[in-house]
Amino acid sequence: MNKTLLHKTFRDLRAARAQSLALIFIVALGIASYIALIGSYRDLGASYKSTYDRLRFADVTFAVSEAPASVLDEIADVAGVTAVTGRLIIDTGYELPNGDQIRARLIGMPADGQPDANQLLIEDGRTLQPTDSDAVILESHFAKFYNLEPGDTVTPIINGQKTALTIVGVGTSPEYLIVSPSQQDILPSARTFAVLFLPLDALQNRLETPDAINNIAIRHQPDADQTKLIAEIQTILEPYQLEATTLQKDVPSNAALQEDLAGFGEISGLMPGLILLVAAISVYVMLGRLVRSQQPQIGLMKALGYSNRVIMLHYLTFSLIIGGTGLILGLLAGPPLAKAITGSYAAELGIPLVETRFYPDLVATSVLLSLLVVVLAGIGPARSSARLAPAEAMRLDPSVALVDGRRSFIERLLPIPFNWRLPLRNVFRMRRRSFTTGLGIIFAFILVLMSWGMLDSMNYMLDTNFNQIEQWDAIAIFDQPQTAAVLDVVRSWEGVTAVEPTIQLPATIKENDHSEDVLLTAFSPEQTMHVLRLADGLTPEEALGDGRIILTIPMADKLGLNIGDDVTLDTPFGTHTLILGGVTEEMMTATAYIAYDDAQKLSPLPTEIFNGLYLTLEPAQAQTIKNDLYHLPGAASVQLKSDIIQDWQSFMGLFYAFMGVMLLFALAMAFALLFNAVTVNVLERQRELATMRAIGASGGQIARQIMAENTILWLLTLIPGLLLGTWVAMQMGAAFSAELFSFQIVISPTSYVFTALGILAIMLLAAIPAIHRINHLDLAEATKVLT
Amino acid sequence: MNQPYLIECHDLVREYKMGQVTVQALRGLELCVDPGEFIVLLGPSGSGKTTTLNLIGGLDRPTSGQIIVQGDEITRYKGKQLTAYRRDRVGFIFQFFNLIPTLTAVENVEFALRLTEKDGRAAAQRSRELLDLVGLADRADHFPAELSGGEQQRVAIARALANQPPLLLCDEPTGNLDVDTGRQVLQVIRDLNRQKGTTVILVTHNTAIAAIADRIIHLHDGVISQIQPNPTPAPIAELDW
Repeated sequence: MNKTLLHKTFRDLRAARAQSLALIFIVALGIASYIALIGSYRDLGASYKSTYDRLRFADVTFAVSEAPASVLDEIADVAGVTAVTGRLIIDTGYELPNGDQIRARLIGMPADGQPDANQLLIEDGRTLQPTDSDAVILESHFAKFYNLEPGDTVTPIINGQKTALTIVGVGTSPEYLIVSPSQQDILPSARTFAVLFLPLDALQNRLETPDAINNIAIRHQPDADQTKLIAEIQTILEPYQLEATTLQKDVPSNAALQEDLAGFGEISGLMPGLILLVAAISVYVMLGRLVRSQQPQIGLMKALGYSNRVIMLHYLTFSLIIGGTGLILGLLAGPPLAKAITGSYAAELGIPLVETRFYPDLVATSVLLSLLVVVLAGIGPARSSARLAPAEAMRLDPSVALVDGRRSFIERLLPIPFNWRLPLRNVFRMRRRSFTTGLGIIFAFILVLMSWGMLDSMNYMLDTNFNQIEQWDAIAIFDQPQTAAVLDVVRSWEGVTAVEPTIQLPATIKENDHSEDVLLTAFSPEQTMHVLRLADGLTPEEALGDGRIILTIPMADKLGLNIGDDVTLDTPFGTHTLILGGVTEEMMTATAYIAYDDAQKLSPLPTEIFNGLYLTLEPAQAQTIKNDLYHLPGAASVQLKSDIIQDWQSFMGLFYAFMGVMLLFALAMAFALLFNAVTVNVLERQRELATMRAIGASGGQIARQIMAENTILWLLTLIPGLLLGTWVAMQMGAAFSAELFSFQIVISPTSYVFTALGILAIMLLAAIPAIHRINHLDLAEATKVLT
Repeated sequence: MNQPYLIECHDLVREYKMGQVTVQALRGLELCVDPGEFIVLLGPSGSGKTTTLNLIGGLDRPTSGQIIVQGDEITRYKGKQLTAYRRDRVGFIFQFFNLIPTLTAVENVEFALRLTEKDGRAAAQRSRELLDLVGLADRADHFPAELSGGEQQRVAIARALANQPPLLLCDEPTGNLDVDTGRQVLQVIRDLNRQKGTTVILVTHNTAIAAIADRIIHLHDGVISQIQPNPTPAPIAELDW
């Protein structure tokens, strides 16, 4: 292509600069979001991995009731094991300076240097030393939340006694990158959960259990047969009442991080894809219009002897320049955006070792993607430019400039008022363009509804869980069995309106070759503080008791179990076979329920024991009762529902911000797409619209007509847009659900209304520049322009 | 007492900026048009005839000078007043017909009528009457692409008459038609002038067509070079070009 044609290309682009800029913006948005989201997704994954490697995160962790430290030597001898660390872990209470009690986990660990598995990254202060007797390293999330630092004192409750310990260091553990006490607590809870690392000897002495450990973390060779190795270690630990075997992937913090990352990955793929598709549509629409409006020039070029190839290349250059400029801007904006996303995300989660890298493959893919988008979008109009016959292209016959008028199919079905006939026919006059523009609007619907749907579903999930299912005000868990006497004591406290005992046990459900860890809760079928939302109209009395178990719907589906099927359950008390009595709808997937009486039968202990309490309280006395509960011997955790809700609300801030960014992207993309499409539609009909103005139509009438066209397009895309948006939101919900919790997509009617009206508003706003242009046309000139 | 002029143009100047250069399309044009008159503006390309038509029609504004139509100085009009002026007092006929391709012949006429007529039935009825007037009753429901050039121009005439304007402005109305079709279109315009008393200003560079006017205004280089009264306008059937 020669220099003159290149000059023409640039001048044509400049003549349509607003549209060109809109297209460049969409391409840049697509490329920047691709590099930023995928790059950030990779950075976060790499950051987690490097943190795990550096801190020697355990491959497998075994929890037992109590074992002697000598068992560690036996485990170290198992083939493939490269590191063993024995620890003593207890859950207890912690008294804050204001007297409030929160949950604490005390981890007794070897104090002679860093342990072989699950090391700590000391961010402030020092490591533990063998001579430390009242020293503690505080987990960093908690320390940061309460501004605690080395030299300060912490006061966990050990053996029912408030115990003052001195902070010697603040550190991060690979097990608590997200400070999650258990699989059932999916929220980071730095405010209400403290993890304290003490010298093993010191904790053993305070608990009066010298030489005892209850947690063994191991690392093994990468090529070791993990199943075989686990089986051997389980055999060694069998005498010590093995309670749980947890793989690295199932450690609550890691599982939550990986699920979070997977959700991030889903959006990272979807979002840039949709934006680039919209970019392709927009380039196609604009270039198609350009070719049509330059027919006489094309005819002239052909008459002068320009080859089809050169003409095609000339028009393809438009899309290449747009794609190239968008690409450069996207490449410039993408990496810093990735760094910012990774940084703020990691900072929010408290990930200490953040890695941000430059990914040359993402740059290469971006180049290919943008090329693909603009070439695919531009090739059709460019080829049609080359196919034009010169004489036909140059002929200024008005009949050539006329599009065929036709009645729309809707008019054949319904009597359409005159004022709507013209906009209706205009929508259908360029059917391919209307189709592609409509497709773009549908994508906008998808993005907006998906973002809104996720917010709605999260709100629905929380409302269902905390207002419909959990009717208690406080839940207490004990790490030792409690008797009816304790129950009577708690009942007698002022401010306690009702108490229901429960038994909570870690358990594993085995079905064929598949096994799932669950938290097994036993309570009376008549209890009222945890409402079971049973399918098939079953009552708790029908679904519980007589050896029956209730699973959550996703868990039953995952295991392929139906009501009436046998369920094999491993608990610390042995293996039991129960019958699936019902399925229930709950937020947390990994939970199961049995009748209180059945649980008593599973246990070798005397009857009438419990290790959990559901309580309803007088609100004014909730905090006092929480503190009193922590002072009961063996109290491991006490949580107020109001605290949990507060944690959720603060967590939702991040979620809202993320979804807000998605919404902004969707709206910006919709605006750019529609601005381009409407401008093209209006420019192409400049003479028509100018004629209307010339014969006396007011600016308002022209505006109403263009708005009516957009409204019709909106109406046509409304149903498919909302349906597809719901479907995509469902897929996102399924992707988010995964292991830990069930994320049911529920979109409220108001969200549908807001989405629909929001898109309509964008469509109408996008028409304003075009309307302004028409109403300021030089009518004398415009009424003479043929195309 | 003399009947007042329908149109008065005084010292009309229209300049265009073409980059750094200012081009004077009109240089102090003076023109008065009587009601019911049939005027032809004749001149070569660039003489200022279309500019004059656009200024009288309210499609453009002069750089200086006055245009008075039916006693109102339209050069003082703001945007909305100009829109109303074009709607109520002027009918336009363009060289390229300028029909709306997605409306049928009758709907094109109705579109103009609906700007003032709120009664839909009455507008539809009147549109068909106007098409009948230009001899196109049987083509009323055809789209422009299904009509010949002459038929399209007759639809455009019917549309121009929709609001019964006292003034019809025609810019090269036969410029895109063959001779026979051109004659038919001119006949319709001439009949309207004679039978309804509609004032017509017709722009052309074709001297043959000028012979049908009551008065021929010759323009050259932005000024009137000659005003040629034509007491015996030529019969349209005898025109040839």
